[in-house]
Amino acid sequence: MASRSRSSQQRRRFFATHLALSAAYIALVALAAFLIPDEAPPSATVILLALLPGLVIVGWILNIGSLLLRMEDEYLRMLEVRKALVATGLTLGVCGGWGLVELFAAVPKLPVFFVFPLWCFGLAVGSIVNRLTLGEDGGEGCA
Amino acid sequence: MNNRLKVLRAERSWSQQDLADRLGVSRQSVNAIETGRYDPSLPLAFRIAEVFALPIEAIFQHD
Repeated sequence: MASRSRSSQQRRRFFATHLALSAAYIALVALAAFLIPDEAPPSATVILLALLPGLVIVGWILNIGSLLLRMEDEYLRMLEVRKALVATGLTLGVCGGWGLVELFAAVPKLPVFFVFPLWCFGLAVGSIVNRLTLGEDGGEGCA
Repeated sequence: MNNRLKVLRAERSWSQQDLADRLGVSRQSVNAIETGRYDPSLPLAFRIAEVFALPIEAIFQHD
């Protein structure tokens, strides 16, 4: 019983941190868009303002890492790790593959900005992979 | 690895959730171990043996 409540406490803490970071991300992107004019030269201030939302991305990654470290249920932790592996594989595969296409063909460059959202999409794919390979209980997870 | 978790649990009329609570893990973990989709770590295997008051080899058998 205690484990179930600890586990749900960990999930609640993860989602609360995630929501707070998401709000900070939206606010910082809006702030950067408001303060930085279009086609601004790459001054130190402009780069710093543009990097602020990037700190939130680091926060998201740390939040996921912290959840993995805190999880006491080894099976649920394995599910999360498998999701992260699928996400990482998908991201590296898509970026590396598209990078090669960019080398040899006149195709639009993949904006680096999309790497993290792609990884997050990979987590959702990982969840589906878990469900398909481990059955209904494989779809459980937090991130 | 094969295990007798389901049989041992049935003998005691425990649900998966009952066993999960005794082990301090999720019901999903118990289900995954019972159905052979997940092999528990050594510490968890020892906890399972403790809960059933049996030696590990009486619960888990190598294929």
